[in-house]
Amino acid sequence: MQSFLGALFKAMPLIFGLGFMAPLIGQSLALTGWPMPGGIAPIWIGLAIGAVWGGVATRTGRWL
Amino acid sequence: MSAALPDVATLRDMDSKALNQLEKSVADTFMGGVPWGSVAWGLGNLVVWLSLWPLTLSGLLPLWAAFPIATLCVMLSYLPSHEAQHRIIAREGEPLFWLNELVGHLSTIPLVLPYGVARLTHYEHHKHTNDPALDPDAATKADGPWHSIVKSIARRQPGSKDQASYGECLTRLGTPEARAAGVQALIAQLTYLTILFAMAWTGHAIEAALLWWLPRHIAMTYIQFYLSWAPHHPGTGKGRYRDTRAFRSAVGNIGSMGMQFHIVHHLYPRIPLMRTPAAYWALRPILEARGCDLERL
Repeated sequence: MQSFLGALFKAMPLIFGLGFMAPLIGQSLALTGWPMPGGIAPIWIGLAIGAVWGGVATRTGRWL
Repeated sequence: MSAALPDVATLRDMDSKALNQLEKSVADTFMGGVPWGSVAWGLGNLVVWLSLWPLTLSGLLPLWAAFPIATLCVMLSYLPSHEAQHRIIAREGEPLFWLNELVGHLSTIPLVLPYGVARLTHYEHHKHTNDPALDPDAATKADGPWHSIVKSIARRQPGSKDQASYGECLTRLGTPEARAAGVQALIAQLTYLTILFAMAWTGHAIEAALLWWLPRHIAMTYIQFYLSWAPHHPGTGKGRYRDTRAFRSAVGNIGSMGMQFHIVHHLYPRIPLMRTPAAYWALRPILEARGCDLERL
């Protein structure tokens, strides 16, 4: 249990990036009404940014 | 009250025992009774914050209006619990102790700070104020106001070692109560994240961000600034009359949530928050005689 929780919290920035930042970015982009490049759905842009940002935060220990 | 005290020079010449007795007799007049204002503040604030969710999700309240209210609610959520942590509302064994615990548990829900964690770590802060190894709030020490804000944000980065100070404090305590508080912290954190994720993936990410996630970050920066950094700056003093100071806040007493007079709280933690300004002015000549840092207040 302890090792599972340890691994979970270690990967939390990536999980947060996908679980919260991605839909937040996607829904914010949708709200602007801007046309997305190649007509791609805003959530995919959110997922890409959330995954990269969360992955970097997991690796470096910093969001900012 | 202060008019009845001798002047500062006379107080300085008093022997230690007499000065202690005089100080305590003045402080005692500000203790006792139920601080109903703090009870109403704690429970009312939670009701307001909770009501923002159905109001915004149903479209009755625009999000741009709800965001500043939510931020204010989260900022205001700590201090009623702080009154409960010190058993100011009621002590164990008293008829209203249940109310004390209710306020303690409920008021910090928006902050995602379980009562047990807040209480145990806060007692350690009082016991070891400014001790870099034992004060769980010592990491808030900073060179100045802007440095304090930058450090507060840096402390919340996932790799920050300072972020673990409360967990380390609970581990160091090692009591069954501390272990239970650790479990409560884990459950609270996972519940908070689950709610954020669930709201985000059901189309309410912006609402979750502006009613909870961002207000909580703003509130944590504000609370750490006014409740931890400012009253203990420069964070090097040790001892009853040296580890906390009085200061004049640019945003006044209400804007700094009464923390200008935090020195009174460290000397007499059972004086209710709303009485600390009056207690400070009554005790001020004694504090001056003792050489406390009273800045320009």
